[in-house]
Amino acid sequence: MEAFRIKNLTFTYPEKTRPALRDINLDINMGEMVALCGQSGCGKTTLLRNMKPLIAPHGEISGSIEFYGTDVNELSQEVQASRIGYVLQNPDAQIVTEKVWHELAFGLESLSMDTKTIRLRVAEMASFFGIQGWFHKNVNELSGGQKQLLNLAAVMVMQPDVLILDEPTSQLDPIAAGDFLATVSKINRELGTTVIITEHRLEDVLPMADRAVVMDKGEIIADDTPADVGAILAKKNHPMFLAMPSPLQTYAILYNEGVGKDLECPIDVRTGRDWLTKLLAGKELSVTELAADEESLPVDNETGKVMAPSIEIKDAWFRYHKNENDVLKDLSLEVYPGEIFCIVGGNGTGKTTTMSMIAGLRKAYRGKVKVNGTTAMLPQNPQVLFTEDTVREELGDEFRKEYELLDIEDLMDSHPYDLSGGEQQRVALAKILQTDPDILLLDEPTKGLDNGLKKELADILNRLKERGTTILMVSHDVEFCGRYGDRCAMFFDGRIITTNTPRIFFSGNSFYTTAINRMSRHIFTNAVNVDDLVELIKANE
Amino acid sequence: MSEHYLIISMLIGILAMVPFFVKFERKKVQARELVILAVLIATAVVGRAAFFMVPNFKPILAIVIISGVALGRESGFLVGAMSAFVSNFLFGQGPWTPFQMVAMALCGFLAGLIFHKYYAKADSFTGKRKLPLLIYGALSVFFLYGAIVDIWTILAMTPHPTIATVVTVYGAALYFNLIHAAATVIFLLLLAGPMLKKLNRVKIKYGMK
Amino acid sequence: MRNTFATYHPIIEFGFFCVVIGIGMFMIHPVFLAIGASAAFIFAILTGGKGSLKFTLCFLLPMIIVVMVINPLVNHQGVTILFQLKYSYITAESVIYGLMMGLMLTSILLWFSSYNKVMTSDKFTYLFGRIMPSISLIFTMVMRFIPNYKIQIKKIADAQKAAGAAEAKTLKEKIHSGIKIISIMFTWALENSIDSADSMRSRGYGLKNRTAFSIYRFDRRDGAAAVFLAVMTVIVLIGCISGACHVDYFPEIVYAKANLIHISSCIAFALICYFPVFIEVKEVLVWKHLESKI
Repeated sequence: MEAFRIKNLTFTYPEKTRPALRDINLDINMGEMVALCGQSGCGKTTLLRNMKPLIAPHGEISGSIEFYGTDVNELSQEVQASRIGYVLQNPDAQIVTEKVWHELAFGLESLSMDTKTIRLRVAEMASFFGIQGWFHKNVNELSGGQKQLLNLAAVMVMQPDVLILDEPTSQLDPIAAGDFLATVSKINRELGTTVIITEHRLEDVLPMADRAVVMDKGEIIADDTPADVGAILAKKNHPMFLAMPSPLQTYAILYNEGVGKDLECPIDVRTGRDWLTKLLAGKELSVTELAADEESLPVDNETGKVMAPSIEIKDAWFRYHKNENDVLKDLSLEVYPGEIFCIVGGNGTGKTTTMSMIAGLRKAYRGKVKVNGTTAMLPQNPQVLFTEDTVREELGDEFRKEYELLDIEDLMDSHPYDLSGGEQQRVALAKILQTDPDILLLDEPTKGLDNGLKKELADILNRLKERGTTILMVSHDVEFCGRYGDRCAMFFDGRIITTNTPRIFFSGNSFYTTAINRMSRHIFTNAVNVDDLVELIKANE
Repeated sequence: MSEHYLIISMLIGILAMVPFFVKFERKKVQARELVILAVLIATAVVGRAAFFMVPNFKPILAIVIISGVALGRESGFLVGAMSAFVSNFLFGQGPWTPFQMVAMALCGFLAGLIFHKYYAKADSFTGKRKLPLLIYGALSVFFLYGAIVDIWTILAMTPHPTIATVVTVYGAALYFNLIHAAATVIFLLLLAGPMLKKLNRVKIKYGMK
Repeated sequence: MRNTFATYHPIIEFGFFCVVIGIGMFMIHPVFLAIGASAAFIFAILTGGKGSLKFTLCFLLPMIIVVMVINPLVNHQGVTILFQLKYSYITAESVIYGLMMGLMLTSILLWFSSYNKVMTSDKFTYLFGRIMPSISLIFTMVMRFIPNYKIQIKKIADAQKAAGAAEAKTLKEKIHSGIKIISIMFTWALENSIDSADSMRSRGYGLKNRTAFSIYRFDRRDGAAAVFLAVMTVIVLIGCISGACHVDYFPEIVYAKANLIHISSCIAFALICYFPVFIEVKEVLVWKHLESKI
């Protein structure tokens, strides 16, 4: 039986001519886990919200959506609230009350359940999610990952038949995101709840999903098992494959060049490794390694001398309060003009503190911090820079040539909050570039961006780099750093452990490295990104 | 009887607010409206944190007035009463709480009563039209907020208030009231326009209009 | 801080404070004031520790003195003239009366300082959740938003600084920078509120007959406390109404004769006021006993 049956659904937002959803036909079977993929702005969220009229956007709608055979618009509010669970993107904004226990009970209170029933339901859910330990806590004491788990639990107490998740991990770090998705998978497997999820972390989601549905410009372009969807996209040579996990991207690029056409499409590291092994089985491998440039210091073209670093930190120590532990311990770091320098590492290791020290917000209590030139920092959440009602007012009248690099001319008359995450980031970049900084600091710039947007960001950064701007970023995103960084540094326990070019850096790590490196290290020594792997495989054809 | 003025005036204050609360509860307000009210109250209470560099510069009353203007008299009343209450929750409740609640609530209520229609359009807070609200802001500090809150000071000092006591207390409070009035006028001048616009945008987005 | 009283049901706690503060503001009998002030002081120290001691010494004691001085200056009733000050007389009655008023104010403020420690926001939400559901929901939302907003204000201030904004030096610049921060914060908060409202609607907020869940249970201990406090309150009220606890300060100090009603209502009031202290002591003894057995 289908949990949802969507027929010829077309949806147009008010005052728009182009429909946001066009002729969508989709059946979601009971107990299935469906991953809905597509680039930002393709209509995923619009589709999901229309499945729950309580929170559906205003607009013109045609076609039908049935939930267990009943049109969703005829479902009572009770049924919608209890049987269709919906978790939104932002972990913080969804939590309404002050206490964890109260948040868990919120939905059940709406359903007018008595205290005894609520107590049982809440106890069950808290035990299932393992959140008994923070049951009495204030919500503000929780981490981002815990908050999102709480949101999930607060929906699950209502025992929904279907769970809809709209990019639930986009604001989380990779470890918290992994935990969250593992819980979703557990709900699907152990409780049999039907799950519909959109995610840009497709590396993690596709292996768990029974089915992948790919949308582009408001239409469904592929709907099959994850592996077959990959094959479909490869066959169509559809640009959407860029939004897919890197094993799948490699497959699609080679597929269109006539390599590996008869093999099944890989979706994660494990299947990727199998695919690579089969692809190269029985072949004489002439090349297993790419030329690896050692770290080289940039040289001034005119004088021929090594350039002076733009950021120079030597033996710096820092802590927030006199009686607390040191956050930065004996940190040394040099960043040169015209490079993209990436700092990777886990949460709470001091990456962001380093960044704010360079930006002049914090002062080291010992050691030297020398910054040659002006700095500007792009905050993690670009919204903290927006005051005005249009982008034009936000940026002022003067038109600057950087705006062309940033591709924001079309956004000028929009409200900053009506823009997507990627667009907001570009506007924020335009805003901070107004001070003509020599050094650009980026805090988690790829958070919440899908692969397509990441590519755009990389292009912008490269253009800025060419103009001589020094770019320093801290990130959890090893895929991005491995592909677009000039040098990468591993941050751990308040200092930098190692620095090198991405190729040497990531091929030297075994866990903290890119998916491509993990799936190919048994054959190739230093493939780090898709381009590397494609090059190596082709060299052996 | 006179020694009971303090408790009696406290009780009167609390009882005076009850009908408004009851009316609000009866209305079955929608989620969106509740959230906007909560945002306004929280902003009014934490606003001072943005002025950590300028001590004694508190935007709470200005934001209460703006709430009344933007959402009408009942919302103004509620934002006023709750802002005072929550603010005391953080800085310590005392017998002064009901006085502050009533005072703030009245400031918000009257602002809504007088100006809700006058500034109904998002961009109506411009040029000369700003003046009436600024004057109201200054007057409300002296004659509504200051006047009511100082009743508590007077009654706490002596249960037998004479004209002299009243004059002394109001005289001593003059300096603080002047700063408060100046701050409120400056806040209204700089914040009312943008805040009214932003509230209007969200109301449209929510479909509340 | 040790605070067994805070583990009682919120209704008991709230009722207790209403009674002690209400009676404390009503009764100007010296015995009552002494009982109230001493109990309030001990309880404040129990709940607030050193902070409460500092509050009492640095703020409340001076305040008693101020009230004690002001009253005789503005109130010239009374028959026992102590001395003449310019054109008016200072009377012993008004000095004593001032002292009593200062004591009353002190005990109220001390009760409130414990109240602030005991009645946390979630208890408040619970108490008013049933009679004022919408308002108490707004209250809990506000309490949740406030720490978030504080963090956001810090983030915005940092981001402005790090994005290359010039540092504010003059008063005008400081005000403008504050306005900018609050404006950004408000925009962010309003836009995020859309998600909050959606999340509420998505979980059925607005349906009829919403219930109020709580983790508080009214157990037998709470029942016993309720009965005890109610009976004691009735005894005190009988004392008040019958006039047995009446005092006139002016024109001269006249006490009602001490009789059985008077004494029993004094004792009852003491039992109420010292209730939190009693249970704290009992708790300590019980634990001492339990530990000695191990």
